[in-house]
Formats: sequence, structure tokens, C-alpha cells
Amino acid sequence: MNKQTRVWLVLSIVLSLLAISSSCGGAKTDGPTANTNGGGAQTGGEKWAGGTGTISGVVSFNGTPPAPRKIDTAADPVCGQKNPNLVTDDTIVKDGKLANVFIYIKEGSVEGGKKIGDYSWDTPATAAKLDQNGCHYAPHILGVMVNQKIQITNSDATQHNIHPTPKLNAEWNQTQPNGAPPIEKAFNRSEVLIPVKCNQHPWMKAYIGVMKHPLFAVSSDTGAYEIKGVPPGKYTVVAWREGQTPEEKPMEVTVTASGAAKADFSFGAAATTSIRPSLQMMPAIEFPMLGKH
Amino acid sequence: MNRGLNRFAILVACATFFLIIAGALVTSHDAGLATPDWPLSNGQFFPKMVGNLFWEHGHRMVATTVGMLTIVLLIYILAKEKRSWVRKLGVFALLAVIAQGLLGGLTVKLMLPLAVSSAHATLAQLFFCTTVSLAVFTSRSWIEARRLEEEKEVLPLRYLCTAALVTIFMQLILGATLRHSATWDKQLPVELVMTHILGAVGVTLTLGGAGLAVLRRHKGEKFLTRPATIALSLLLVQIFLGVAAYSTRLKSPGDPQPLNPMVGITVAHVACGALVFVSTIVLTLRTYRVLPATSEHSTWAARPQESQVI
Repeated sequence: MNKQTRVWLVLSIVLSLLAISSSCGGAKTDGPTANTNGGGAQTGGEKWAGGTGTISGVVSFNGTPPAPRKIDTAADPVCGQKNPNLVTDDTIVKDGKLANVFIYIKEGSVEGGKKIGDYSWDTPATAAKLDQNGCHYAPHILGVMVNQKIQITNSDATQHNIHPTPKLNAEWNQTQPNGAPPIEKAFNRSEVLIPVKCNQHPWMKAYIGVMKHPLFAVSSDTGAYEIKGVPPGKYTVVAWREGQTPEEKPMEVTVTASGAAKADFSFGAAATTSIRPSLQMMPAIEFPMLGKH
Repeated sequence: MNRGLNRFAILVACATFFLIIAGALVTSHDAGLATPDWPLSNGQFFPKMVGNLFWEHGHRMVATTVGMLTIVLLIYILAKEKRSWVRKLGVFALLAVIAQGLLGGLTVKLMLPLAVSSAHATLAQLFFCTTVSLAVFTSRSWIEARRLEEEKEVLPLRYLCTAALVTIFMQLILGATLRHSATWDKQLPVELVMTHILGAVGVTLTLGGAGLAVLRRHKGEKFLTRPATIALSLLLVQIFLGVAAYSTRLKSPGDPQPLNPMVGITVAHVACGALVFVSTIVLTLRTYRVLPATSEHSTWAARPQESQVI
């Protein structure tokens, strides 16, 4: 092998190795924020006595919400027959009010100074329910407590598979044919929030918030929510909303002895499921001829 | 030379190319976990192929067919082929397709870890390389190839082509890693995208250099210029497909589901990448077949045994 040959070979190998090494800097994928709030599995500690107070409010949406996008169900006709107008449900806005926002107490202290994370809670005996109906998850956002059973049902005449992709809990993937009995699962670490998808119907998405405590709520179609059983104290309340980069809005809330506190949140159009191009310096070339379907 | 064997080897290579396309469709549709079990799909040999199960189970069916064809190819080679190294390559092809099947099962069982999925995609290209090589080695043009001379004091083409081949293979590994690093609803990692672009520059330089050198030095020698022309043409198409694939993939996280433009163009990019790879393999093998290891005529003449190796 002469000198010129060696130079060529070394150059190509160096180029390739350089390319590979620069890619090893930690590839990141966007996803729900992992949250260690409240610790992992339930631990010992003073039992939470509960309270009579509430934190309530309304979640608003500023600006023009994105129009729901039609879902093509041709790959599985059962979905189209049962739910002919299936659309995306990541941004549901009615009269300026935003549904499907997960609101929870992240941290704080009750009167007397004891931190909320120092308490322990009993796991609810009743299972939370997640149904697959019309090739769509209901509810879209589900809140449960650590180790609380989640009963998953399939109301469709087709098979689904349920595939949560947590960061702190164990990942699993299970098929549920039509007519199959409910699947019961639980997560043993708190995590806000775990994405759930169906690999057979890629548009099907849900999120499960797993909390150590029961102090959480999901905004309804009117944007309203209410967290019950809150004793007097100072808390950081967080509103979490799904998106390419899920958005969290914290707010300091004081619950007084009279027992009711208000905390309204608002999200804007800019924070919707807008795509944040990962290569800002390289705007995508537009291909107007490439229509979707 | 057995014409039937060569035709069958070409058939297996074509089936492998189809399998690569089927695999790429699985990735683009995020269908890899449409069934959590393996080798059965939802506990059945032939499940109802609706939704993404169509892509995943379809891929398994094509893979099974290719596996069967590879077994038949090995039997054919053992029966008809005298060259021991070709027989060994046939055995290697079977081992590779078995390993590939097991790797496919492993990636499903482990829920698509990046390393295993990328290894599965990379081994697919290596298996394709093997089947194409078998088709080349059993062809009439390979058997009847006549020796050519290299120009004096130039870098031998076989090394130029080898450099291009190594660079393309690295780029294929990068591409496989990039594709499996994020599903359609998430943005691709910037670092990997940039690295893949850098790799494309490397491929363009090395393959462009090798291909143009072949066209310049051996004008009229179709045995070499044909694969070189095909490789260069495919490289050009591949660059455009890469830009288009990036454009559609950039938008896909905002889509409600994997849409046809993104799926079609991305799969075409994978398929064209495989074709660039194999056309460069054909070119490289042929340079080793007919060209000397150095540009000095005396060295070539001193190694007559090479010309007898068919």
C-alpha cells in the first residue's frame, strides 16, 4: 500500500469516526417531563390526615386554537365505522377554555411547616379506568396514585395494544383483542406524565399522571378543575399541558383556614403542539407538491 | 458457471431488497411493536392484518420467505458451485439471515432498544451485500472478466472504491441509528442529523472520487463503468431524497399519524441508500477482479495466481 493509498484510507476512516463520535453526545428525544416529585413508591411517614380545603380554577387558552386534524382510519376500517369523524384531541378548546390540562400540587408545606412530601397516603382501592373506544383513549389524560390499579378496557371490535413509555417506571406493551377481559396494571413510581400509545393505531395517545398523593385534577371541557382535600398551607401548583415539548406552569397558592383558593392558568397558541424544528439554522425546504394523503 | 444458480442468486438479492423496503416501512409507521410477541404475532401465525400489524407481520412474512430462499440458495450453491470460497459465502449468508431473524425478535422482545434496532437495520444491509456478492460471483461477466491495467503512479482504483465502500457503510450505520432514535412524532436528535449530513459529504467525496476515477481511467470498459455510472446516478438521487426526507420528517411530529409523503420518501431514501451501497460493492468487487493491487505493472505480473482465481 503506497503513501497516497494510506492517506485516502486514513482520511475516510477519520471522517467516519469523527462523524460517529460527534453523534455520541447524547441524543435526546422530546417527551413528557419526568418528575420525581413526591418520591418513588410510597414510603413510610406520617399519614396524611387530609383537609377540607380546595384549590380550583379555570384553564384558558389565549389566541386561536389549532383546528383538530382529521385522522385517516383506512388502515383499520373498524375505527372509521365506529368513529367516522375521528380527529386529534391534543388541544380541545371551547369558548376559550382548555381541557385536558393536568393540574397537581408539586410541593409545599401545610400549616405548621411540615412538607407535603413527608406524608404518606393510602393507595385507593378503586381502579382508575382507561377505555379504548372508537380507536381513541378515554380519558385522554388520566391521573392515578402510585400503585393504584388502572383497569384498561377495549370497547372496540378491533384489537389494540397498550404501550406506556415511561422514564421512571417499567415500560410494557400488551395486546388487547376485542372481547378480551380488562387489563389491570399499576405504576410504582410517581411520574408526570407517562405517554401511552397504541402501536397498531399510531394516532391513539393518552397520558397518565402518577402521583404519590391525591392532590391533582384534570381540566374539564369547560376548562374548570378542582383539587379537593387540601389543608391550609402554601403550595406550588403546576399545570401541565401536552405538546411536542410539554409545558408546565407553576403557581404559588395559599390555602387559608377558610379553605378555598383560586388558581387560574392560561396557555397560548404558541405553546400548542407547535413543532420546534431541531435544526433552526436549516429551515426545511418546502415541497408544496407533497400534499398529505 | 451455472446460469440457473446465478439467476437464483439474483432472485434472492431482489427479495432481500424488497425485505429492506418492508423493514423500512415498519420503522416509518412505528409498527415495530404492533405486536409484543415474536415469532408469532399476537399468538397467531396469521393474525388479522389491520392497522400497523399489516406492516409488522408483513415484514415477518417477507423475512421468512427470504430465509427460505437463502436455504435453497445454499443448497443450490453446494450442489453446483466448485469454488470453496463461494460455498463458504453461501454458508455465511444463511448464518447472517438467521442472526438477522434473531436480532429482529430480540428488538421486539426488548421493546426496540436503539442499539439492537440499529444493529438489525445494519445487518440487513450486510446481508443484502452478501446476496448481491453471491449474484456477482456466480455471473458470467465475473467468470469471463479479462485483466485490465492501472495507470502508472496513480492511486489504485480498488483502494479508492474500498474507501468509498467503508464510508458508505458507516453512513448506513448512522442512518439506521438516526431512524431508530426517534419515532415519527418526535424530532430527530440534532447531533445525529448533523452527523448524517457530514457522512453524506464523506460519501459524496469518496464515492464521487472513485466513480469519476473509474469513468476517466477506464472509459469504454463497461465491466467497470456501468456500476460506477449507476452508483454515481444513485448517489445524486439519494442526496435529493435525503433533503426531501428531512423536510417531511421535520414536519411529521405535528401530524396526527405517519403520513404517506413522509413514509414514502423516507423509505425511498433507505432503499436508494441500499442501492448505492450494493452498486459500490459491485464496482469494488469488479476492481479487485480485473485491476492490479498497485499501479506498477510489474507487481501485477508478479502475481499471476490472482488472475486465475475466479
